[in-house]
Amino acid sequence: MKKSDKGLDLDAIVAKYRPVVSFRVKKSIGTKTPDWEDVVNEIMINVVEKLKKGEFRGDSSIGTFIYTITSRRIIDFIRKKSKVLKHAPEPNPYLSPQEHVENRERARWIADSIEKLKPKYKEVLYLYYYQELSREEVAKKLNISPRRVSERVNYAQKLLRRVMKE
Amino acid sequence: MKKCKFANLIDDYLFDRLDETQKEKFEEHYFNCPQCFEKMEQTDEMIAVIKADGSEIFRDVYAPQKTKRSKLEPVLAFLTPRQWAMAAASAALILVVAIGIIPNLKTTSPEFFINDDLVRGSSITLISPVINNLSQVPSEFRWQSLGDNAEYKLFIYQQEELLWSTSTKDNFVILSEKTKSLLAPAKKYSWQVKAFSPEGTLIAVSSQVQFNYIATK
Repeated sequence: MKKSDKGLDLDAIVAKYRPVVSFRVKKSIGTKTPDWEDVVNEIMINVVEKLKKGEFRGDSSIGTFIYTITSRRIIDFIRKKSKVLKHAPEPNPYLSPQEHVENRERARWIADSIEKLKPKYKEVLYLYYYQELSREEVAKKLNISPRRVSERVNYAQKLLRRVMKE
Repeated sequence: MKKCKFANLIDDYLFDRLDETQKEKFEEHYFNCPQCFEKMEQTDEMIAVIKADGSEIFRDVYAPQKTKRSKLEPVLAFLTPRQWAMAAASAALILVVAIGIIPNLKTTSPEFFINDDLVRGSSITLISPVINNLSQVPSEFRWQSLGDNAEYKLFIYQQEELLWSTSTKDNFVILSEKTKSLLAPAKKYSWQVKAFSPEGTLIAVSSQVQFNYIATK
């Protein structure tokens, strides 16, 4: 087990933060850029180096420390990219860090669970997530209060999360 | 699990609805809050599925229904989807037949029902004369204008037989002395106005209103 001089468990840190960094990178530069994985790797290496050098002094949380490194690296990447492309890539309508659902079987299973929800929840999910309407717009459309919309979204999510955790 | 106040920002973050400051704040937050991060990953996966398979998942909610669906459910369950399709097809057929045939049954323009003091079904409002027992021959016929583009045709009937008619772009007609001489005292007449578009299609019909006048000589 690698340990920094401060006694931080580096393996555990990498294991814990790699998905978080990946999410943040994918969200910013999209998975259509094949470089995204390289960027993540660079960030993780950078994090480990800095921790080994004792650059993390504990005046912020380790999360914030890694967040700062990640943000800087992303800004760098985008700056270089936009120099090459002359302009930054256009924002996509919904570019999920998930991007393509890797596991079709799992996706089908989640889709089935959504399909089996009661119509009043499905209806809200459809307008809110599929059509990307705001809470207020959904409320107006269904003639219920925005608070109700949130309640239904949250409840549907709660049910789905149970399925997704399995 | 206690709900984190940042959890409300997950959807807006994923849909890029946060401003730069909020976005950075939230990003820093999920680097520090495993609960929010986990929840965000799940929400993201759910949205990815919804976006990819939405047309399939929501095919029954696709046509936005104003009625409360929960109340509709037992009704919908009454027939299988196939049966519903058949029912819809038959209903459509009946509708097409009805729409296609019914107007052809009435080739005349809208029918109006009149008796002495009851007039129904007008779409041009007649202004004058609309009362019986006038003291003299009415010289002016006036109705409510339908706007600049309409052309009107005024008809004067005597016992359902057309006595005289004229066209105008105004919303009134002043009878000449010659026309007035066609109208005899104490006899029952009626009048009606039809409006036509510049292309000559009938756009509105007034009711047929009776009038008569009493000789004063």
